[in-house]
Amino acid sequence: MGKGRYLLKRFVYIVFVFFIISILMFAIYKSMPGDPVDIMLGNSKTTMKPDAYQALYDKTVASLGLDKPLPIQYLAWMGNMLTGNFGYSTQYKQEVINIIGAPMANTVLLNVLTMIVVFIIAIPLGIVTAVRKNGVFDKTVQVLTIVGYSLPQFIVALLAIFLLAVKFPIFPISGVKTAGLDATGLSAFLDTAWHMVLPVLVMAVSGIGGITRYVRAAMIDVLRMDYIKTARAKGLREKTVIYVHAFRNALIPIVTITTSWIISLFGGSIVIETVFLWPGLGKMLIDGLLQRDFAVVLSMQMFYVVLSLAGNVLMDIAYTMVDPRVRLEN
Amino acid sequence: MRNQKKKATRRSTASMAAQRMMVGSLPQEEDEVLQSPMQMALHSFVRDKIAMAGVILFTVIFLCCVILPYFFPIDLYYQDVTQANVAPGFGMLSVPSGLQGNAQDMSVGSSFSVGLDKDGNVYEWGTFPNEKLKNIPSASETGKLVQISAGLDHVVAVNEDGQVFTWGNDRMGLSSIPMELRTGGNNIKQILAGYQISLALTEEGKMYNWGSEYLLRITYPEGVQGNIDKFAASTNIVMALTKDGEVVPLTTKTSAYTNIPEEIQGSVIDLAITDESAAAVTSDGRVYTWGNNVKGSLDVPEEIQGQVASLSAGRYHYTAILKDGTAVSWGDNTHGQASAPSSATSVASVDAGYYANYAIQEDGNVVAWGLKGYLMGTDAFGRDLFRRILVGGRMTMTVGAISVIISTIIGIIVGGVSGYKGGKVDNLLMRLTEIVSSIPFLPFCIILSSILGNSISETQRIILIMCILGLLSWPGIARLVRGSVLAEREQEFVTAAKSLGVKETGIIFRHILPNIITVIIVNATLNFATCMLTESSLSFIGFGVNEPNATWGNMLTGAQNGQVIENYWWRWVFPALMLGICTISINCIGDGLRDAIDPKSKER
Repeated sequence: MGKGRYLLKRFVYIVFVFFIISILMFAIYKSMPGDPVDIMLGNSKTTMKPDAYQALYDKTVASLGLDKPLPIQYLAWMGNMLTGNFGYSTQYKQEVINIIGAPMANTVLLNVLTMIVVFIIAIPLGIVTAVRKNGVFDKTVQVLTIVGYSLPQFIVALLAIFLLAVKFPIFPISGVKTAGLDATGLSAFLDTAWHMVLPVLVMAVSGIGGITRYVRAAMIDVLRMDYIKTARAKGLREKTVIYVHAFRNALIPIVTITTSWIISLFGGSIVIETVFLWPGLGKMLIDGLLQRDFAVVLSMQMFYVVLSLAGNVLMDIAYTMVDPRVRLEN
Repeated sequence: MRNQKKKATRRSTASMAAQRMMVGSLPQEEDEVLQSPMQMALHSFVRDKIAMAGVILFTVIFLCCVILPYFFPIDLYYQDVTQANVAPGFGMLSVPSGLQGNAQDMSVGSSFSVGLDKDGNVYEWGTFPNEKLKNIPSASETGKLVQISAGLDHVVAVNEDGQVFTWGNDRMGLSSIPMELRTGGNNIKQILAGYQISLALTEEGKMYNWGSEYLLRITYPEGVQGNIDKFAASTNIVMALTKDGEVVPLTTKTSAYTNIPEEIQGSVIDLAITDESAAAVTSDGRVYTWGNNVKGSLDVPEEIQGQVASLSAGRYHYTAILKDGTAVSWGDNTHGQASAPSSATSVASVDAGYYANYAIQEDGNVVAWGLKGYLMGTDAFGRDLFRRILVGGRMTMTVGAISVIISTIIGIIVGGVSGYKGGKVDNLLMRLTEIVSSIPFLPFCIILSSILGNSISETQRIILIMCILGLLSWPGIARLVRGSVLAEREQEFVTAAKSLGVKETGIIFRHILPNIITVIIVNATLNFATCMLTESSLSFIGFGVNEPNATWGNMLTGAQNGQVIENYWWRWVFPALMLGICTISINCIGDGLRDAIDPKSKER
């Protein structure tokens, strides 16, 4: 019961945040250089007579609703955005909604895979270092993780390319599939996986660095608690103490930090996508900005906003799962 | 209960120490033997080896970036294709010992030099822009060579029979030596390897040219061919000196070079051209210059007028031999090429080229001065990476520091007010914090810097980047300050201040803030590293600080493809190394500070 109310409260709040940010987005949309009507009419300015063009121009302005006051324009724009009408891409000569499918799949694939790799490595590593804190292994991991999260992703990327693609050409430098390869099914999947190794590896390095340190800190805090002593005094096996009693309690701060990490991961993948020429949303955003294709830019931006808010919703759901106090409070 | 009390006493001593620090040197009280928490923190910080290593590394890099640019000044707009992608090293002027005392002819190439001893042996040293330069033809093939000249990436030599040889780069027809010159039997007076072009002149006054015609188109005015005494060339023009002592530009285009002073025509004995100007020596030993006065190449030292015997020129400097045999240089002195050493006396001939000079003395010894090489190599535009790393570091650190200052100030104000006031104000400010923190950071930075940044100047753009970074990264620090203020505001000293009638802003900023300043400093340190990372990521993908301004991020922009990564390693290794060391050491410092200040986290 309390869980539902809590989630509902958070959801209402997130919708509110979404509208605040969307107003910001609308401001960006309005401050974009270039007259949207001119862009939409394209080259008819040069081919039509001036007065005929002016009439067409006025008609387009009216049909786009650009003559109405700003709040109404905002509502219309918001309506368009929510119904998937993202506008017309001048770069691809298509509706934006038709071209963002594949990049979105690529980006999500890349990031989800990175998350899985990071969790599989970072969480056990964090627990082990917390349990054996100040040992040789712990100290080594501590130093390595500082290096991991301090190094910029693009430097890790350059190093990885140098070692694994240039010096020892094991993996391809860039792209999502081998050029000219006409494979389907399993071989196509393997080819994509082969191309994904380097980007995922690079993105995972900084993630592992950060998350390991947080898991370790949270675990150490929890392991000092009295209920851990109680659990040990009861004669529970050390494994049970650590993985059931301690880790479940350490999960609360981990969930907080993980959510903000996931949001920054999607943002940070822009850099990685540029370096590895990965045809995802980040590369599309950059290409759109360079080609001044603002319909694409704005849709990408919208995606990042929705994603970041979805991350917040996920965090709330995760809280209700790991922290019983959230359920009991209301 | 007991625990709380203990905590309270610890806090108040901390506050005393902090206040003591703020106010200055209060007289030492009787508890001299006791260490204040501040001293304890300092001691444990100094004992932290990793953190101290971080402090030392960062201080060294920081001081280098702040001080060294004054000793190694940089012209941000300077570019030179002839110096592109030169590998690190200082071997450009290391004349082989075989040449000392036995030098016949020497020539400066773009980043390498060639020399010829009196027995006709060829020597090459420096950094080779092209691997083919190492394929020196064997002595059995060439016979005894007597003259040699080095260009951008090829070499031309002539033997005693007047046969011309070339090696090195062979594109654009550089290898197609005219038939007459290949067979020999000519009296070759002068040869020159230039920028993708080769030139040769016979005793009869006939000039030959081969190589690329796109960069330098040579046309011979009527009556000049067959009457040439000497010639000089730069990347822009070739000029000839006729046997009548007249200077003739071998081009149809008018430029600053063709603006030859009328009064010298007929009495010129030597000619030299830099990239921006030309100079001629007349028979009375005076030097006349014309063209654009770039880097002081037209400023001939007054005291040598009337005594000059011959002249040679590099890219932006001149070297003259006086009648008494001393060599004098003037013009651009960035690499010391215009500072002729005092040992350059009784000089028989000088070859100046690009950024260096070789003077061959009468006894066959060689004196060299000018560009020795680049500590960290050069980039694709021929810019010295070392100098760019210095100013780039300054830029990266400045942007990082100012963004951190902006975000810390906003964070302190928002967090302080929110924590102290509580209630509705707190609720409102915390919602604002949450909204800002749910804005996707990097995409927003990119879009803002791209949309707002395209109509403003580069300096304004850099300020804009600082503001964007500062305005988007304060939520973390605000939450932290709020939490600490919430804990502090229940303390006795706050109640005391309240009852004394201190204003609310006074209580927040004068009484509470000094107690939480340590937490803020730790957070600001860690934030500094993050801001540097964000700035360099933005600059790396081209939405931060742009060329020609250098930052460690945009220096790596050109290094994204496999070819650069493999062949020009210095272009990415050095900036990446500096940036990596900097961020790692800042994070180590931050971690060490936190451990030192917060005894609880020390147990971790």
